[in-house]
Amino acid sequence: MRPQHADDAMATAPVVPAVRLRSVWVRYGPTVAVRDVDLTIARGTTTAIIGPNGSGKSTLLNTLSGLIRPTHGVVEVLGAPAARGSRRVAHVLQTTVANESVPLTVRETVRMGAYGRRGVLGRLTAGDRRAIDEAIDRMRIGDLVDRQLQELSGGQRQRVYVAQGLAQRAELLLLDEPITGLDLVTQETITATIADERAAGRSVVLTTHDVGTAHLADQAVLMATEVVAAGPPRVSLVPEHLATAYGGHVHLLDDGTVVLDEPHHHDHRYDDQLRG
Amino acid sequence: MPDLIAEPFAFAFMRNALAAGLLTVFASSLVGTWVVLRGMAFMGDALAHGVLPGIALAYLVGGNLLVGGALSAVVMIVGITLVSARSRLGEDTSIGLLFVGMLALGVAIISRGGAYAGDLTTILFGDPIGVTTSDLRVSAIAAAVALGVTLALYRSFLVLSFSRAKAQVLGLHPRVAHVAMLALVAMVILASFQTVGTLLVFAVLIAPPATASLLARRVPVMMAVSVLVGSLWVFVGLLVSYHLGTATAATIAGLSVFGFFLVLAGKELVTRLRRPSFPAVAEGG
Repeated sequence: MRPQHADDAMATAPVVPAVRLRSVWVRYGPTVAVRDVDLTIARGTTTAIIGPNGSGKSTLLNTLSGLIRPTHGVVEVLGAPAARGSRRVAHVLQTTVANESVPLTVRETVRMGAYGRRGVLGRLTAGDRRAIDEAIDRMRIGDLVDRQLQELSGGQRQRVYVAQGLAQRAELLLLDEPITGLDLVTQETITATIADERAAGRSVVLTTHDVGTAHLADQAVLMATEVVAAGPPRVSLVPEHLATAYGGHVHLLDDGTVVLDEPHHHDHRYDDQLRG
Repeated sequence: MPDLIAEPFAFAFMRNALAAGLLTVFASSLVGTWVVLRGMAFMGDALAHGVLPGIALAYLVGGNLLVGGALSAVVMIVGITLVSARSRLGEDTSIGLLFVGMLALGVAIISRGGAYAGDLTTILFGDPIGVTTSDLRVSAIAAAVALGVTLALYRSFLVLSFSRAKAQVLGLHPRVAHVAMLALVAMVILASFQTVGTLLVFAVLIAPPATASLLARRVPVMMAVSVLVGSLWVFVGLLVSYHLGTATAATIAGLSVFGFFLVLAGKELVTRLRRPSFPAVAEGG
């Protein structure tokens, strides 16, 4: 896939995709978490990686920021091998990853995003401060900046973490389960921001287990350890493919709505696999 | 009342003890804040006691106690990292194994050396009222290093405490930061075991930062509050121990922990007083 709206400046440069994976495998001991994935993501697009729990979608996302190194295969991000600490990639982790006993204000938390650009000692520039303020505005957390992280609701916290990612001013934004199970304001704010990022020519890759969310993306990658289907959601998320990925727990309603019967969002087979 | 305070500090040994205590509290507050926030208390405790065999060995062969202790600390840290990485055991088990092994080794060395039990007591409980000028110099250097490293690596320490994965993706070198933190903990312990003893170092590494975490809303504030709270208990502890004849290090350590519970109780009380009681409202309506 190629960018559909390459502007004049970009037209002279060779077209480098946002992400290119070639035969990527990730194993944890004897367990295969990601099996032989080939995938290309064009710049300026949004991609949803969807699948049941333990299908390898977060693992796949983690390879893009270098957090996990593939056991085999090549991961190229914006034309270079994926590496931790790349300024060009912002990775918003799941909220559960953070230690919220650290006393932090919302503004301090968002500021951390700019450390990616400045490193351990570099001074924040006026541009960094502007990016921090903009990120706070875009996530509608301006009235919360002096609040403690622990005092916020789950949705507010998620918006703080996305703002932290935006403050990094990266070209590729990775979001791990950004809107699942959160309040409407949060869902709308984050969804709108994803669209804005795309409009600004940046790329967004997110994971979700919600088919509705995946339908908002340009491309959906349906995972069940390996890629079951990839392409525009109306092509990749058809019931046959969903049935393959979710192991038959798929019901098609009369109006065409797809319902996933995934009790507690758990598939013990995959959980066991991940635990090894 | 002024005499109760002025009289003890007329003695040079009391002023030295106060200076040593305050310098230790300063360094341990900066370092202990991260220990408390990252849940590394057990690691701190293990290091505080795991330096024993190196110190004991250095004592027996007439070497430098600080170098001996530092070597012990390196063995501890490398051992814990290796056991965690090479087995399925959690870090707490690795720490426990090295902790008890090193402590046992230290006690064995001391007993084999025929040294009197007083040596072990000195290492565990220090000798705050026998502080020399050279001890004070070591404590001052440790306080300066703790401040310098905390300022230089603040972003790495902060983001690592918040989330290791986030520190990795932001390129803030969490592994280097983690090792630097452990090295700081070891340094604080070694710089003060002769003066205040490992028990008190561990107490001021944990209790004042934990007390401060109940009150502060930002990490730098937490450090400052910890320095203030810790200093207060050093001062009060010295006075109490002087007038009542209690063991100095144990008195300060005990008061620091008591202070934590005092603040916790006070905070609980304030929260209860502020919160309207729901049954009363329901009955009124």
